[in-house]
Amino acid sequence: MRISIKTLSGGLLTAAALSLASCSDLLEVQPRSNADLTTALNTAEGLDATLNGIYDRLQSTALYGRDFLAVAEALGDNAQATNKSGRLNNENRNVAGASFVNWATSYFAINQANLLLEATPKVTSLTDTNRRNSILGQGHFLRALLYHDLMRAYAYDPGVEIAQQNRGGVPIVLTGVNNQDQLQFPARAPIADVYKQIYSDLEKSVTFFSRTSANNGNIPAYGNRAAAQLLFSRVALYNKDYNTAVRYATDAIGGTVRIVDASGYIGGWRAPRNPESLFEVQFAAPSENIGVNTSLQTTYTTLVRPGDRGTTGGFGDLVPNNAFLSDIRSESSATGFADVRAQLYELGTTGRGTAFVECTKFLGKNGVINLDNVPVLRIPEAYLNRAEAYFMLGRMTDALADLNTIRTNRGLTARTMASFTNDAALLAEILRQRRLEYAFEGHRWFDLKRRGQDVIKTIPLSPTANNLPYNDFRVLANIPVNEVSTNKNIRQNFGY
Amino acid sequence: MRKLLLGSWLLTLLFCLPVLAQDITVSGRVTSSDDGSALPGVSVQVKGTTRGTTTDASGNYRLSAPANSRLVFSYIGFLSQEVAMGSRTSLNVQLQNNAQELGEVVVTGYGGTINRREFTGASSKVTGTAIQNLPVGSFDKALAGRAAGVQITSANGVPGGAIQVRIRGIGSISAGSDPLYVVDGVQLNSTNNSSFTSSNPLAFLNPNDIESIEILKDAAAASIYGSQAANGVVLVTTKRGKSGKTQVSLNYYTGVDEPIKRLDVLNTQEWIALRTQARINAGQAADVARATVLSTLRQPTTLTDAEVAALPTYDWQKEAYRNGRTNNYELSLNGGNEKTKFFVSGSYYTQSANVINVGFKRGTLNTTLTHAINSKLTLEQTLKMSAIQARGQQGSPNGGSFLGSSAFSSSLMLPSVPIYNPDGTFFGTPALGGTPGILNQNIIQVSTLNDITSNINQFVGGLSLNYKPIEGLNIRPFVSLDYRAIKGRYFTDPRTADAFVVRGRLQDQFNQNINFLTNITANYNKTFGGRHDVSALLGAEYRSDRNEFTNSNITNVPTPDFRYGSAAALPQSIGGGWTGYSKASVFGNVKYNYGRKYDVSVIARLDGSSRFGANNRFGFFPSVSGAWLVSEEDFLKGNRVLNELKFRASYGTTGNDQIGSLFGLANFPSLGLVSAGFDYNGAAGFAPSQLGNPDLKWETNVTTNLGMDFGFFGNRLTGSVDVFDRTSRDVLLGVNLPFTSGFTAISRNSGSVQNRGLEIELNTVNVQSGDFKWKSSFNITFIRNKVVKLIDGITPLANPDSAITINYNDFYGVARTAIQGRPLLANYTTEYAGVNPANGRPMFYDFAGNITYTPVTPRDLRYLGSEQPLFYGGFQNSISYKGLTLDALFQYDYGRRSFNNQTSFLAELAGRDFNAIRSVYDRRWQQPGDITDVPRPINGNAETRGISSLGGSRTLEDASYLRLKQITLSYDVPGTIGRKIAASKARVYVQAQNLLTWTNWTSYDPEFLNFGSGNSGVVPNSRSITAGINLTF
Repeated sequence: MRISIKTLSGGLLTAAALSLASCSDLLEVQPRSNADLTTALNTAEGLDATLNGIYDRLQSTALYGRDFLAVAEALGDNAQATNKSGRLNNENRNVAGASFVNWATSYFAINQANLLLEATPKVTSLTDTNRRNSILGQGHFLRALLYHDLMRAYAYDPGVEIAQQNRGGVPIVLTGVNNQDQLQFPARAPIADVYKQIYSDLEKSVTFFSRTSANNGNIPAYGNRAAAQLLFSRVALYNKDYNTAVRYATDAIGGTVRIVDASGYIGGWRAPRNPESLFEVQFAAPSENIGVNTSLQTTYTTLVRPGDRGTTGGFGDLVPNNAFLSDIRSESSATGFADVRAQLYELGTTGRGTAFVECTKFLGKNGVINLDNVPVLRIPEAYLNRAEAYFMLGRMTDALADLNTIRTNRGLTARTMASFTNDAALLAEILRQRRLEYAFEGHRWFDLKRRGQDVIKTIPLSPTANNLPYNDFRVLANIPVNEVSTNKNIRQNFGY
Repeated sequence: MRKLLLGSWLLTLLFCLPVLAQDITVSGRVTSSDDGSALPGVSVQVKGTTRGTTTDASGNYRLSAPANSRLVFSYIGFLSQEVAMGSRTSLNVQLQNNAQELGEVVVTGYGGTINRREFTGASSKVTGTAIQNLPVGSFDKALAGRAAGVQITSANGVPGGAIQVRIRGIGSISAGSDPLYVVDGVQLNSTNNSSFTSSNPLAFLNPNDIESIEILKDAAAASIYGSQAANGVVLVTTKRGKSGKTQVSLNYYTGVDEPIKRLDVLNTQEWIALRTQARINAGQAADVARATVLSTLRQPTTLTDAEVAALPTYDWQKEAYRNGRTNNYELSLNGGNEKTKFFVSGSYYTQSANVINVGFKRGTLNTTLTHAINSKLTLEQTLKMSAIQARGQQGSPNGGSFLGSSAFSSSLMLPSVPIYNPDGTFFGTPALGGTPGILNQNIIQVSTLNDITSNINQFVGGLSLNYKPIEGLNIRPFVSLDYRAIKGRYFTDPRTADAFVVRGRLQDQFNQNINFLTNITANYNKTFGGRHDVSALLGAEYRSDRNEFTNSNITNVPTPDFRYGSAAALPQSIGGGWTGYSKASVFGNVKYNYGRKYDVSVIARLDGSSRFGANNRFGFFPSVSGAWLVSEEDFLKGNRVLNELKFRASYGTTGNDQIGSLFGLANFPSLGLVSAGFDYNGAAGFAPSQLGNPDLKWETNVTTNLGMDFGFFGNRLTGSVDVFDRTSRDVLLGVNLPFTSGFTAISRNSGSVQNRGLEIELNTVNVQSGDFKWKSSFNITFIRNKVVKLIDGITPLANPDSAITINYNDFYGVARTAIQGRPLLANYTTEYAGVNPANGRPMFYDFAGNITYTPVTPRDLRYLGSEQPLFYGGFQNSISYKGLTLDALFQYDYGRRSFNNQTSFLAELAGRDFNAIRSVYDRRWQQPGDITDVPRPINGNAETRGISSLGGSRTLEDASYLRLKQITLSYDVPGTIGRKIAASKARVYVQAQNLLTWTNWTSYDPEFLNFGSGNSGVVPNSRSITAGINLTF
């Protein structure tokens, strides 16, 4: 009997041991709604999905969903907050801490771009070189855009640093993290180094795009060669590297996308895709609708369609201030305002309180309220970048020609050199056209910042003036507390 | 082997030959006089000899004894019985219950049972009879106050709704804290997957089918379940068939569920005056303020004071909080013969809540079959099927501040707003411009028209074979399936505010869970030399649990008549997903008993789980425990005062494998993952969502338990005292990463939480004289919960505490803050200092104890208690005289402090367009010199340059309560009357639940849980009064 127990328990133990041995198989349960981070990018489809994932990040309100247009406008001198939902009040008053919050989103996207750029050359199944070069071109383009936007929000621009307040650029991370051994704790790189990196990405991007027929400016949903060139001219302008700015602006102008004349301009803003766009972030699916609280349409206007003051849509939290309106309406023609762009500003509804003149660049152009593609790079910028760069290089005639390209395509008359009292007046007009052309697209604040200019708030919300001198620490956004507390190498911006 | 067996049998035969000639084999069954249930482990002794045996799990025994000898049946807790055998070969005996406790059988899992005398661990038992016929949707709700160390909290009063069970405190920060539920050997999946109604994964089981519930609390008791045991194990055994005449039992009860209270809110005139005052206090001119308030109410601003005084007041709470109804119909059959026994029951239970249009219906079918194929092989089968239809409340299943929710908004509705138009239709529908005030909708219309339901169909079945090849050995293979399908829908009617603009919204949910388990165990018992009892259990197990779901959200239906997806025009979102995990384990238990005095038990389990990281696939969970039955020692044996005394000690580890949802990716916490949904321009995209940690593993609980069981005066007073230290190590936390890494955080086993406690259970027979009997039982549990360690490198807060804190989302999705050195679920805020008598402004204490209008965070933050109780328990009395029995259970929970999210709105005192509560209104500051704790009303709820008047700890309340949880008066109809209707047993009763409540909590109900929306808008528990009849034929 003793034997029988031994036999039995022995048998049972053997069975248990056997089952344990096969356990490693039994215990392999792989997710089906998710995929393994370390292998997800090993196929061509995985690369496509990763690329889409980066564009998806651009849709975030922290980037082109709202902030890089609306928060920039709130911080700057074009707009006033209406307090209809209370949003952007603090940003408009330049309250410390009420600024850009794209740090996390941008670095998440940069990590995706890093993983993409590392993985693409290793995917042997991707034999289509057009596709491969397109992916690499887009990856470098997106990484450059992300880094430049980080720099615009968190760091001083080259040449206008305030030495005693300067804490450098942003950390440069170029290797993807897909397991915990790759975690790094980078410090903020010098401003020049970050620009060097952005240049490098843009050079590579242009090169890869040159080797592919897959991307061109006719598909502004995705990065393309002309977009990379225009971005390069912008980055070079910020870097006070005017020759490069001229060079790439010229390249971009040589692309397929043309500036639209005054007769087509308003129609361009009513179309789902702006015909001047080299790159615009698409908002196509209903699930991508940012909605009634923080979309660009609701932020800028109470209207749901032009001229219909009977229906109230969004809040209309941020509207042009009087200084801006009088500027854009300052040149008149026989029929009214000469500047065709003034037609984009019309009186909103009283549905949520006092009616204001509101910007109607975003009106649910994709057929649904609050669903608009967001232009990131439009071709007029190439002329404006180049005009400014020419001016800085002393090439006044070339500068004037580009300025007039803008003016004449917006219903304004061409200016002669003689009409400017001095060179400064020409520059002022170039910058003024930039302000009018890109109002409510988020350029003005960054243009003031990169030129080291004070922000004159002409419509103060409180009885005391709340102008923002350039040397005020609030010109830069604060780095998230999490970053400072988790990475000892990161220095917070001055004043925070 | 066969030869050997044959040989030993022949040998035995030879030895026995002289007596064999006169012996008779007698067999029978021993049952309890309490409820006729089988008594396993009863000692059956042939008087005057050493011959004897014990009954098996079904109470059956068989032994051979000389004819005409006397058999002595003895069993702890029961009176011994001596029966003359005569020449009978079949002898069934019913033992009379002596007292309680010590004599019980402890169910230990994997088919095992042990006499409590020999049990070395800590466990509590609740018998099925104790919770019989309580009007509850799931048995866990009925356990409240009945077992030491077990805290039961209803999330709300939704019938069949969510319940939280915490055994010996909370040991996890961001991992799960739910116990493992095992019903008839089936390890349940107890995740709550119903999106639209408050649901309970245990509601599939009709509580009346339960024979007993055993709650395993320490490592010695629970570690056989290894990595699932850290939060305790609840073992449920359902009723089994009994051989003999088939018994047919009919059971019916019915009753009402009425609101325990409605809040006393202001009438129209008081509200107008208060709102006007709040506006004046904020700087508005009196006449402007009055006109503004009247126009808010859509009254002419020209109303005279007399006309204002004549405005009516409407009681919205009376419309929202209504009487619910409970009905339960049940039929069970029970019977069989020596070979085959069955128990079959069916039930239909309906209960509506005390809030409009919230309810629960359930049909169950339960069959249990045991069949002896031959003397060595027994088949055991259980099968439970249930179909539930639950109706949920507006907004969120477990409450919250949803404007359309009747439970939340009915007290806040402005009192002058009518509910119905004169023609009986709803007032203030969106088409009519909504109702005045912030709520802006007729909540009664919303609750009436919207269709929020879940259909939950569940199947739980198990099949086992007991193979007893030789004496003392039982080999038991077992397979089980726990299948659950949830079909949920949330139809928001286009006529209601939330879907007026989108013209109706339909949300659908389908969720299917398949939980398969199989194991094989071998159990061997043997006695050596008469004094050495050894038993060994060895087992191997595999479990696979898979979950799939789809959901959709579609808007725009043509008319409200169209309530299904195909009729809706605009799909908003469609989703679906899959998750699952597998476990494989081996486990064993060796028990040794010496001389019925000393017990030692060693348990070990090796658990592998797909949830654990690749570097830590297998966890090992051992425990060791011992017991000393002192009362069996010579120096105590026969003592007339102290008749039972036992000491227990245990030490061991258990694991918590509920580590899956830190980042919403249940079951794959260790993997590096990309998640979908990062789509762009109509094309699918993904992005990294979780950084892998191959070292991630279970949370380890190390539990030390010291216990004592005692019985005095012939067990007239029995009880247990346990002290324990449960230290949870490797507690899962999200360690924040710099965003430059591309990730927010990574999950690591880095924290530690400690629960130290004392549990006391006392049972007394106060009076036993003739037919009159009065019994009491009392239990109390004290727990000190403390976060011992968070993660390294956290910068302390700049306050006098230098508090080390971490913000986290708990397993159930609630955002919380953990503070090192403090209990979990802590309230950490600035302390309210009352009102400045000079101007009525609210004041707060700063870090130094000085008074300020504007406290600074984090400088002035203080720890102000926790949502965990300091102690809890129950006190039960049972008085019986002849057939009459009165049972009363008081349940208490002391020391919980929580923000009152419901009354905080009502305490705004018309700072916004909400109604206000009278108790706060009466205490409000009105003129300089008033000493009170309620600031003056002010529009916007904040004084100039002040923080919110409701800030800091002002709405932090004591949620302690004492509740007369249950009181039952029952009458066993005498057989003479019963027989007239051919019933062998008949019982009638009336019962009340939550009849009385003592609490300082100012909202509806002090029993609530936070599932992320606080405790506002919670459907309160009802006062249920039921009457029932129970007939057995």
